[in-house]
Amino acid sequence: MQFSDFLKGSPDGIDVHGPKVLLHFDIGNVSINLTETVVISWGIILAVTLLLLWLTSGMKTRNISKRQVVAEWIVQTVYDLVESSMGKRWRRFAPYIGALFTFSILGSLVSLLGLRSVTADFNAPLAWALVTFVMIHSTNIRTNGIGGYLKGYVDPVPVMLPINILSELSTPVSMSLRHFGNVVSGMVITSLVYFALSVITKSVGIAFMTIGIPAVLSLYFDLFSGFMQAFVFIMLTMAYISNADGREPEA
Amino acid sequence: MYLDKVLYTDFLTIDVGTILFTLINTLLIFLAFRFILFKRVDAIVEKRKSEVDATYTEADQALSSANADKEQYAAAMAGAKQEAAEILSRAEKKAQREGDAILAEARQEALAARERASAETEREKAQARTELQGEIADLAMELAQKIMEKEINKADHERLIDDFIEEIGNEGDNA
Repeated sequence: MQFSDFLKGSPDGIDVHGPKVLLHFDIGNVSINLTETVVISWGIILAVTLLLLWLTSGMKTRNISKRQVVAEWIVQTVYDLVESSMGKRWRRFAPYIGALFTFSILGSLVSLLGLRSVTADFNAPLAWALVTFVMIHSTNIRTNGIGGYLKGYVDPVPVMLPINILSELSTPVSMSLRHFGNVVSGMVITSLVYFALSVITKSVGIAFMTIGIPAVLSLYFDLFSGFMQAFVFIMLTMAYISNADGREPEA
Repeated sequence: MYLDKVLYTDFLTIDVGTILFTLINTLLIFLAFRFILFKRVDAIVEKRKSEVDATYTEADQALSSANADKEQYAAAMAGAKQEAAEILSRAEKKAQREGDAILAEARQEALAARERASAETEREKAQARTELQGEIADLAMELAQKIMEKEINKADHERLIDDFIEEIGNEGDNA
C-alpha cells in the first residue's frame, strides 16, 4: 500500500460499524439481536460479581484484610457521593449508582483488552438513560402527586407545555448521546490514527510512529474519557433525580 | 439461530434487543452490588458499631466496678488499721497486766522468802540461846562444884554471913 492509497482511501477501507451480531431471532414482528455488546456485558457482570465476592469474603470487624479495606472504601465513597449529591434520604440509592458507574467505566475500559466498548453501542447508554428517565418521573410523581406532576408541565404558563415536554424528553437523549458520542468518537479517532500510522509505517518501512502515539491516545480516550463519562452519567442521574424530588437535601 | 456470515448492526441504531438485554444486565450488576458488596459491608460496619458500643459499655462498667472496689478496699484498709490498733492496745494492756501480776507475785515471793529466812534466823537464835543456857548451867554447876570442893572455914563462913546481913541492912537503910 502506498501513501497515495491513504489519500485516496484504502481498498480495505476504514469500516466503522456497530457491534457484531452473534445471534438473531424473531419474536413475532420484533427482531432481537444478541450483539457483542450484550455478551461482553455478561463477561463484565461475571467479573464484577466474582470480584465483589472475593472482596467481601471473610470480612471481620477488626484486624481487617487489605481487600476488606478496599470493599469498605468503595461502599463508603459511594455513600458519601450519594449523600452529598442527593441527601441522606437517598442513601438506599447508592448501590445503583455504584453499579451504574462500574458498568459504565468497565464497559468503556474493555477496549483496553481489544474488545469493543459496551458504551460504544448507543443502546447501552440509552438503556441507562431510560432507567434514569423513569426514575426522574416516578420520583416527581411520588413527591408532588400526579396532579402536581402534570401541573409542572404547564409551569409557569401553559404555553410552555410543548417546550417542557421537549425538555423532559431531551434529558435521556442528551445523556445517552453524550456518553455514546464521547466513547465512540474516541474509538473512531483511535482507529483512524491506527490506520494512518500503519499506512505511514508501510510506506516508510519503519514502525517509528506506531509506538507511543497510540498509547497516549488510548490513555486519553479509554482511561480518562471512560472515567469522565461514567462520572458525568452518575452525577447527572443523581442531580436530575434529586431535583425531581424537589425537597431540600437535608444535611 | 446461528448466523452463517459476520453481521454488524448499524453504527447508530436503536436496537430493542440490546436495550432489553442491557436493562437486564444493569439489573444483574445492581443486584451484585446490592446483595454482595453493600449488604455485606453494611452488615460488617453495623456489627463493628455494635461491638464498639458494647466495648464502651463494658469499659464503663469495668470503670465503675473498679471504683467501687477501690472504695471497698479503702474502707477495708481503714477497718484493718483500726482493728490493728485495737489489737495492739489490747496486747499492750494484757502485757501490762501480766507484767504487774508477775511483779506482784515476785514481790510476794520475795517477802515470803524473807519471812521464812527471818523465822529461821529466829529459830536458830532461840536454839543457840537454849544451847548456850545449857552450857552456862553446866559451867555454873562445875564452878559450884569446884567452889564446894574448897573448904569453907568457920571464920570465913561467919564473915560471909555477916557481910550478907550487913549488905541487906545497908540496903534497907538506904531504902
